Amino acid sequence: MNRVIAIAWNTFREAVRNKILYSLLFFAVLIILSALAIGNLTLHEEVRTIRDIGLFGIDLFGVIIAIFVGVNLLYKELDLKTVYTILPKPLHRWEFVFGKWLGMLLTLAVQISVMGIVLAAVLAAQGARFDLPTAKAVWLLFVNVMLVTSIAVFFSAFSSPFLSGFFALGCFVVGRSVPDIRALGEKLGPAANAVLNMLCDLIPNLHLFYPSGAIVGAEEVSVHRQFVGSDYILSATGYGVAYSFIVLLLAMLIFRKRDFV
Amino acid sequence: MSEIVLRADGLAKTFRLGFLRKRIEAVREATFDVQRGEIFGYLGPNGSGKTTTLKMLMGLVFPTRGRAEVLGRPVPNREAKRRLGYLPESPYFYEYLAPEEFLDLVGALCDVPRAIRRERAAKLIARVGLEQARGRPLRKFSKGMLQRIGIAQALMGDPELVVLDEPMTGLDPLGRKEIRDLMLELRREGRTVVYSTHILPDVEMTCDRVAMIFAGRIRSVGPLAELLTARLLSTEVCLSPGAGTLPPLPAGATTRQSPDGLLVDLPEGTDVDACLRAVLAGGCHVLSVTPRRESLEDLFLRQAAEKGAA
Repeated sequence: MNRVIAIAWNTFREAVRNKILYSLLFFAVLIILSALAIGNLTLHEEVRTIRDIGLFGIDLFGVIIAIFVGVNLLYKELDLKTVYTILPKPLHRWEFVFGKWLGMLLTLAVQISVMGIVLAAVLAAQGARFDLPTAKAVWLLFVNVMLVTSIAVFFSAFSSPFLSGFFALGCFVVGRSVPDIRALGEKLGPAANAVLNMLCDLIPNLHLFYPSGAIVGAEEVSVHRQFVGSDYILSATGYGVAYSFIVLLLAMLIFRKRDFV
Repeated sequence: MSEIVLRADGLAKTFRLGFLRKRIEAVREATFDVQRGEIFGYLGPNGSGKTTTLKMLMGLVFPTRGRAEVLGRPVPNREAKRRLGYLPESPYFYEYLAPEEFLDLVGALCDVPRAIRRERAAKLIARVGLEQARGRPLRKFSKGMLQRIGIAQALMGDPELVVLDEPMTGLDPLGRKEIRDLMLELRREGRTVVYSTHILPDVEMTCDRVAMIFAGRIRSVGPLAELLTARLLSTEVCLSPGAGTLPPLPAGATTRQSPDGLLVDLPEGTDVDACLRAVLAGGCHVLSVTPRRESLEDLFLRQAAEKGAA
C-alpha cells in the first residue's frame, strides 16, 4: 500500500503545482463569488440564487477539472516517458494506475472542498447557513467528479488526451441526460426505446448526482426545500464507487497488457 | 562457474504500426547472459534494437518470442525488480520535483524505509555530483544533470544489478569519465552493471564482456579479448630519413608525413625485421614501431559490414 500512497501523493503534488488547475479554480471561485452580486439583484431570492449559482459553479468546474486531471495526469506519464523510470521499480502496473487515480481523487476532493468553503463563506455573507441539503448536494457532486475522472482515466489508458477528453465529456453529457434519453425513447417507439435504454444502462447515470428539481420517490426534491435523504445519498455513492471501480479495473487491464515503446 | 544474473533467451519483438499494422521487427533474436559482478556492454548502432531488448528485460515491453530472466526469475517479477536499478534512455523525470523529493519517491517505490531514504538520497546526490543543485526543481536541470540524477535514482534501491540505457548520452567528456569511474566503482562494490552504448572507447575502458547487436540480431557475445582477433593487421613504423635514403618499400606499404616523421604502414605478412634492417642500412632513424591489432572499432565495423552483406 505504501507504493500506491507514494504514487498518489506524487500525483497530488503534480496537480497542486499545475498552474492550469489554479486558473480553473480561480474561475470557479469567481462564479461562486459572482452569485453574491447576482443574488442582490433579485427580490428576496438572494440565498436561493447564491445556492443555485454556487452549486452550478462547483458542478461545472468540478467536471472540467475532473476531465482535465483524469485525461492529463496518466497520459503525461506516457507522453513524457516518466513511466519508463517508475514501472521497472518493484511496483505492479495496477498499483501505478490505482495510485494515480487516488491522487486525482485527493486533488478533486481538495478542489471541491475549496469551492464548498467559498460557497459557505458567500452564504454566510448573506446571513445564510451552509446547511445539510447543501452539504449533501456538494457530496453528490464530488461522487460525480470521481466517476467522471475514472471514465477519463479509462479512456486515457488507450487514447490521446484530446480523444479521451472528448469521450469523457460525451459520457458526462449523455450520463447527465439519462432520464431525458429514456423519456425520448418512450416517445420514439419500441425499437428506438430498446436501443436508447441499452445505451442508458451502459452509460453512467450521472443525473443521480444532481437530483435537485427531479422526482425522487414520487416527490420533487430541491436543495432549497426537501432534499434527498441519507438512503439516497448512500445508494448514489455506492453506484458511483462501483461504477468507478469497474472502469478503473478496465483501465488497469488495458494498462497491464500495454507495451511502453 | 559464475552466477548468471540476467538472461535473454531468443528474445524477439515485432511491433505492428499504423493503420495497416505494418510489421517492424525491432529485435529478431537476442540471446546472451550476464554474469554476476561484471560490466557488460550492449553495443549496436542507432536503431539496432538495444533499447527494445533492455525494455523487454525490464518488463516495459512484452517479447513476441523468447524468454527473459532477471536475477533468476522470469520477467516481470517484483522481487527481482526490488534488486534491480534501471536508467532509461534519454530519461525524463517529474520536473516539478527537487532531486531529494524525486529520490524519496523512488525510495518509497523500492520499499526503502523512510528513515534510510533521506540519508541514502543525500549520499547519492553527492555521489553523482549534484550537491549544488539539491534544492533546484528538475525542470531546471541540464541534460547531463538529468543523466546524473537518473543514475542516482537507479541506485536508490541499493540494487545488485544496474541496467543503464545509453548512460553517456548528453554528457561532456568529463561527465563521461565520471560515469565510467562510477561504473567501475559499482563493480568494485560487487554490483553487476549492464549498459547499452555505441560509444566504443567507453566500452574498451570499462567492459568485461560485450554483446553486439545489428539490425535486431546479436552477432557476437563474449569477453572483448576473445572477440578481437589477435592477428596483426599492420605494423606502423615511424622514421626520420635524416641524411639517409629510404630503401624501396615492400609491396602494399603506404607512407604519409606526420609531425614526428614519416609514417610507413606495413601490411599484414610483411617481413618487418628485414624492412627495418634495410631502413637502418639506408641511414634512416627508426623512431617507433607500432603493431596494429584489431580494435573494437574494427570489429564493430567488420560486423556491421558483414551484416550489410548478409
